[in-house]
Amino acid sequence: MSTRAFLFTAAISVFLFSTRIFATDDAEKTARQALATAILAPEADQAALVEKLAATPHPALGPTLEGWQREQVFVFTDEDGQRIPFLKVEETSTVRLLRVDNGQPLVNKAGSPISFDPSLKAVETYSKLRRAIKSTTDLLALGDESPSVRQNAVLKLGLKQSPATLPVLEARLENEPDQRVKETIWDSIALVNLNSPNPELKVAALQRLGQSASVPAKDAITRIASDSTQTPETLQAAKVALKSIDKHIFWVDFFGTIFRGVSLGSVLLVVALGLAITFGLMGVINMAHGEIMIVGGYATFVVQCVFGTGLAFAPFGISMNIPGFGFDPASAIYQSYFLVALPIAFLSAAAAGFLLEKSVIQFLYRRPLESLLATWGASLVMQQLFRLTFGPANVPVASPAWITGSFSVEGVLMNYNRVFVIVFAGLIVVGTSLLLSKTPLGLLIRAVMQDRTMAACMGVPTRKVNTLTFAFGSGLAGLAGAFLSQIGNIGPSTGQTYIVDAFMVVVLGGVGNLIGTVISALGIGTLDQILQTTLRNPVIGKVLVLVGIILFLQWKPSGIFSTKSRNLEEGN
Amino acid sequence: MNSRISKRELGFGLAAALFLLAVIPGLNAFTPETSPFHVSDFSINLWGQYLCLSIVAVSIDLLWGYTGLISLGQMLFFSLGGYALGMHLMLKIGKLGQYKNDLPDFMVFLGYPTLPTHWEPFANFWFSAFAVLWVPAVVAAIFGYLAFRSRIRGVYFSILTQALTYAACLLFFRNELTMGGNNGFTDFKTLLGHQLANPATQRGLYIASALALIIVYALCRWLTLTKFGKVQRAVRDSENRVLFSGYAAANYKLFVFVLAAIISGVAGALYVPQAGIINPSQMEPSKSLEAIVWVAVGGRGTLLGPILGAVGVNALKSWATQAIPAYWPILLGGLFVIVVLFAPKGIVGIAEQIGSLFKRQTKHSKEVSRE
Repeated sequence: MSTRAFLFTAAISVFLFSTRIFATDDAEKTARQALATAILAPEADQAALVEKLAATPHPALGPTLEGWQREQVFVFTDEDGQRIPFLKVEETSTVRLLRVDNGQPLVNKAGSPISFDPSLKAVETYSKLRRAIKSTTDLLALGDESPSVRQNAVLKLGLKQSPATLPVLEARLENEPDQRVKETIWDSIALVNLNSPNPELKVAALQRLGQSASVPAKDAITRIASDSTQTPETLQAAKVALKSIDKHIFWVDFFGTIFRGVSLGSVLLVVALGLAITFGLMGVINMAHGEIMIVGGYATFVVQCVFGTGLAFAPFGISMNIPGFGFDPASAIYQSYFLVALPIAFLSAAAAGFLLEKSVIQFLYRRPLESLLATWGASLVMQQLFRLTFGPANVPVASPAWITGSFSVEGVLMNYNRVFVIVFAGLIVVGTSLLLSKTPLGLLIRAVMQDRTMAACMGVPTRKVNTLTFAFGSGLAGLAGAFLSQIGNIGPSTGQTYIVDAFMVVVLGGVGNLIGTVISALGIGTLDQILQTTLRNPVIGKVLVLVGIILFLQWKPSGIFSTKSRNLEEGN
Repeated sequence: MNSRISKRELGFGLAAALFLLAVIPGLNAFTPETSPFHVSDFSINLWGQYLCLSIVAVSIDLLWGYTGLISLGQMLFFSLGGYALGMHLMLKIGKLGQYKNDLPDFMVFLGYPTLPTHWEPFANFWFSAFAVLWVPAVVAAIFGYLAFRSRIRGVYFSILTQALTYAACLLFFRNELTMGGNNGFTDFKTLLGHQLANPATQRGLYIASALALIIVYALCRWLTLTKFGKVQRAVRDSENRVLFSGYAAANYKLFVFVLAAIISGVAGALYVPQAGIINPSQMEPSKSLEAIVWVAVGGRGTLLGPILGAVGVNALKSWATQAIPAYWPILLGGLFVIVVLFAPKGIVGIAEQIGSLFKRQTKHSKEVSRE
């Protein structure tokens, strides 16, 4: 242990000056050469040499050390019999061989790159060596540029609960610029102090961990709380700390569930909004709504392919080919494909809706029940057309880098794509309500919604309004499809999975009222998530939501917000 | 509508019943296989299944054609009936299963130590047969009571029934329900001691299905002639007027809904030993919608239409899923759209439609000639 402690302190002596201490090339060179030496050394010395690397740590060593653990480090013997260790880096289409000692590609005397010889055996590791590599990589992370990596590294050290790490942590504390990392360092020091023989230090550490509600420390504190040899003060402090941590965990879970519920509700909202508009306006339940939504999803897929390498497909045995621009997937212009896809998804779904209205629905305005059946027939046809065009499997739609990943607020994990969906659902609702309340088209739509016959008498072209509204509602469905492509997969029958839920939203929300749709979508989404997390069973949760809806309709038979009407056939 | 059955109809009905009950099974049993009149064992089995589906179609028509309720979950009751008898069939497999265990195979596979308590009574055939009736009835009664009490009508009712079958489908897919999860029940061996693989047993099941269809048809025909049937149709045409005349429309609807559920349950119970399998995919919302297609194609509001539709569409399906599998959904969907748009009365109605078109023309020409 004492050599470890020495090494940790030595490592910290380098950290003392700034966070970016490894700027010089010399440091990298020295570190790399030390690592190369360690790899070539006899097995017995390797572990010690690797531990020594901690004295001159450099982030450039990270990939090689990790590669060594994963058996991707090999030794190449050149024409002169010199042994050169190298790292094999597998990329999507190529394999690169990088020298450990200088990070350059492996070349022969003539300077041309050497291809990988599959008969080579990776440099072996054994458990002691792997431990050494791991503790060295942990230390490397302590000096990383990114605060979150540093935070993780600090926490890892703290969880070892070894007094040897104290000097390292304290040294790190002194020149740590980031407040959040500092807090974590305090937590880690407290974690280490939990094992201290001094009861006062122990109680102070427990208080600290209780205050900061450190979730990772929960196990260690639970151990103390159940250890009867501890002093009564310690036990009391441990209990208080545990309570505070449990409370924190409860709230984090609670808000996490609410967040997921709201994001699920937002998806439902975007899916159901178009349905609610067409149903509210025309009394038409469009069973093909899910398929129109998927038109938007496939439009997104096609735009993505056009930005990339193009797309070949063969509907009805006719092979077709859409050429692509061939942008590099990492480039900013490829990443922005989604912004182009949104309007295209809207327009293509609106066009599909327009066709459906003109070919089927316009004949059935007086027979809503039968329009439900006819649109189901249309949905079957559309599903099969998708299958014939894009194949029966789901198509892969890659999310742009700017909506992948997550961030955390007070421990609650937020995915960017979910946040994006919530924000966009808000925008769509606001946009739709503005369209309905502020534009001439909106005026006509509302007039037809309230009293079709009277509107027609006043000269409102009701047929045109129907077609436009239906196309608009379908366009909204297309946008929903574009979002779904970012959250899940798009396949011929994806629409079916959302359609029943979307119907529930419309039935619960009441007809002709955006607020009702918003509340019922968010309500169903949140309730679904809460039930799922508390019951740990998604199906029972779904069934209970359905039962809840049926019971709710006993109380308010026409939904949360129903337009008051004296018409017997409409209101109750 | 006549309040009496005409002699012609009675004669026609008896002839059809005789044909279904005696001629077809007779041709199967007593003609040599080489004879051109021979009905193969395969056909008997297939027609038995078609007849079961026809029973479901009649129950849908009772709801849709006569009461104006579109239930998008009728196959749920069909499946419940099928599962109820399926449980009995599973227990009768005994040690003949793959694991040579008294427990059904899926229970051995999932590691059940003993038979769950609620399975035990299903070892008795009569208990199972009774469950075929009451399980769908209870589910329909609870759902129907809640739905009709709060006056959920029209598309709202349809959507809720769809959600009901969807929820049940999700439930039955779970292994926790002890109903075999997504594999459901299969590999049945015997029914009342008769080998299911035996052609004679299959012939018996065919006759039972035909008999059930004839009884259901007669029952529905009788019901539509009674005062009850008149109120039923009045509810379809104008529910509010029925309410104002002092009838509790909700009770009438509830009764019809429960009756239709029981009829479907019986159909399911007869179907399962003939098809040899029951699994949750039968409860998928699309299956119930497909059943609506049979009725729409055959012609709703007539009791003969749904039978013709169910047999016709399923025969078409058997052919198309073999010959042009990729185009079958398009064919089915397209057929449905066209029927709904252009032939709301279905096959049975087409003759009438053409007739009335002809009548109108002749009337019109008469009027013209008079002028």
